[in-house]
Amino acid sequence: MPKIEESTRIREAVALDRPWVTVVWDDPVNLMSYVAYVFRSYFGVTAAEAERLMLQVHNNGRAIVATGDRESMERHVEAMHGYGLWATLDRAEE
Amino acid sequence: MMEFRKDESGTVSAMFEPIEVDLLRNVASQLLQLLGAVDTDDAVMLAQPAIRRLLPDAYPDDPEAAAEFRRFTADGLLEGKLANATAVLGALGDDERDTSGEPAGFSAQDSVHDPLPVPIVLDEQQVQSWLRTLTDLRLVLADRLNVDPQGRPHLDDEESHVVNEIYNWLGMVQESLVYAIDI
Repeated sequence: MPKIEESTRIREAVALDRPWVTVVWDDPVNLMSYVAYVFRSYFGVTAAEAERLMLQVHNNGRAIVATGDRESMERHVEAMHGYGLWATLDRAEE
Repeated sequence: MMEFRKDESGTVSAMFEPIEVDLLRNVASQLLQLLGAVDTDDAVMLAQPAIRRLLPDAYPDDPEAAAEFRRFTADGLLEGKLANATAVLGALGDDERDTSGEPAGFSAQDSVHDPLPVPIVLDEQQVQSWLRTLTDLRLVLADRLNVDPQGRPHLDDEESHVVNEIYNWLGMVQESLVYAIDI
């Protein structure tokens, strides 16, 4: 089998296993202190990491807060919505 | 109100003016009514800006996946929000419409004759309910105020000025609570 076809098949197979990400989006309502608190409380990250993620949301409009399988990312999105944050999930970038 | 403080047991408390208790009771009751009227099978209702922000799409580019996710999660999320708002009302105490015979502790009527601040005491679970309900309240009010992406409200009339004051005050209460639990 030609080498080119084989590498294309491998790349496609890997793509199906590409992880998913949970994204938290900036919104004009939620306080920075609250968003940082949610990250500390729910994801269990340090205060410094929560601050970093919160600032990423605030400055860049969005931040990836988790990576993994689709179902786990859906649970995270659901939890974020419970806190009143705006979150979505998507396939991770290649 | 005086700032929330946490004691050794993890309980959080603050002194609220009676008028503040009435205000929070008022808006929380309205939120309860709003949430109670939501039919998660009604696409038109779910598309209303305030509701859509309370129950956002998980897959903004995939309507089928979004609908599937909503089918599984919307009712649970809504129930949680209803329970949280109910818990907030519970912590605020009875209003003057309570005819149980017990003294109405924090009624608006009383606040005229007895304007002393009242203690609001919250356990860990109640704190969680308050944090989430305060957010839900701000999300709904932000929609009323047409808050822009930079967080600026549209203050077109007298009512919007009042709503904006409430919106800001709710933010202060939430921030005070976040700092008190300081995890």
